[in-house]
Amino acid sequence: MKEYVIETDNLTKRYKNFVSVNNLSIHIKRGSIYGFLGPNGAGKSTTMKMLLGMSKPTAGEFLIDGKRIPEERIAILKEIGSFIESPSYYPNLTGRENLEIIRKILGLKKSDVDEALEIVGLTEFGDRLVKKYSLGMKQRLGLAGALIGKPPILILDEPTNGLDPAGIHEIRNLIKRLPQMFNCTIMISSHMLSEVELLADDIGILNHGNLLFEGSLDYLRLEAGKRGYGDQNLEEMFLSMIDEDNAFRKQRAII
Amino acid sequence: MISLELKKEKRTGLTAILLISGILGAAYVLVNFAIRGDSLLSMPANPMDILLTQLYGIVMVINMFAIVVATSIAYNMEYAGAAVKKMYVLPISMKKIYSSKFLIILTAFLVSVAFEGLALAWIGVNRLGPGAFRADVFLLFMLYTYITSLPVASFMLFISSLSENIWVTIGIGVGGFLSGMALVNMSDSILMMLHPFIIMFKPAVAMSARINGTVMSAAIIETVMFFIAGILGSSKKKAE
Repeated sequence: MKEYVIETDNLTKRYKNFVSVNNLSIHIKRGSIYGFLGPNGAGKSTTMKMLLGMSKPTAGEFLIDGKRIPEERIAILKEIGSFIESPSYYPNLTGRENLEIIRKILGLKKSDVDEALEIVGLTEFGDRLVKKYSLGMKQRLGLAGALIGKPPILILDEPTNGLDPAGIHEIRNLIKRLPQMFNCTIMISSHMLSEVELLADDIGILNHGNLLFEGSLDYLRLEAGKRGYGDQNLEEMFLSMIDEDNAFRKQRAII
Repeated sequence: MISLELKKEKRTGLTAILLISGILGAAYVLVNFAIRGDSLLSMPANPMDILLTQLYGIVMVINMFAIVVATSIAYNMEYAGAAVKKMYVLPISMKKIYSSKFLIILTAFLVSVAFEGLALAWIGVNRLGPGAFRADVFLLFMLYTYITSLPVASFMLFISSLSENIWVTIGIGVGGFLSGMALVNMSDSILMMLHPFIIMFKPAVAMSARINGTVMSAAIIETVMFFIAGILGSSKKKAE
């Protein structure tokens, strides 16, 4: 069995003159939580979309559990639960009916719907129409859609967006428990290091489509120490890394 | 796949609107003939031509608007809550989703046409006089009107799959209706047949219930053409 569940090799996405993701090579270990960090527009969502086959890479390649897209798209998607950007749902259906659609497509057991609703705390609202859900409830339903059937790989793009502080705390705790509960690997994106710091085993920091750092949080702490930020100030380390890269880009643009 | 699509369509009114249009069409036929039956039958024409062509105009307009609304709903429900984005990341073929929607619309519309046909058949048997009702002519005409309606269904589903805004789809449908109505009598040129709404209008403006082979062929070709375009478009369109 390979050590890495997700591996990308010089993955690139170009839109005319704009490079969204530039020669990205990331490595996500089996059973780990990988925090994918970067400011808005850094290319996190684009990378995730490429991994899910929603967007075609301009160059480079990637392997998910040893499989490739497009050749093994269906096999890959059977293994991945995902939540990209914002919740996707049928507003005319109830939460339970929405999950039932996903369950049928994935060929899961009927009880998986109730289990997914319970995990995200939506059991009592399962029979309410989704168009009547609050943003936080829609977010939870989106997560339930990703978690249903306990997929071995989870790709979550800013899953706590739109949640209140209590909701953020609850979902964060849930995500942290998932690798033990489901024996799964999680790739989670965020633009907040403080958020990912509490969850991730490894992190990748992205800015303007370029990978600035990849490694464990301990390694990041070590780097922070070397640069004189102290190991308590990872947020500042992250921001400095981004600022440094932005300043370098600005300088290069002037030259 | 069909059952999955039917589940998704719950509370959208997609199939209901087509079935209701059939009931409305049938009611129009019965009420209209009850009121104007005698004056219609006194016209100097074949009773079967009168029965089938004089009542079809309004029935066709009802059908056309039902098709426009139903096809608009078919993809609006995918776009309204961005549900289509979830479909892209599930192990399901977008081509199969498109084909299932197409099949559901065609089947519900067939039932709708059957309601209208039943009303016409009842009038034919009971009001045209002994021996005047010709079942073969009637069945062929119903098949003709069904097939000439399919290009609009196929074209509108294709447009609906491309447009995330339901009002754009409905607007194109209304534009198609108005332009079709304005152009249907202008020329019999084969070029005019490229307009799917004109094809649907053709049986409504004809004075005879005879089938026009050119119109029928154009209808079949366009239905297949727009269906293939929709299938190709649905598998190409992703979240980019």
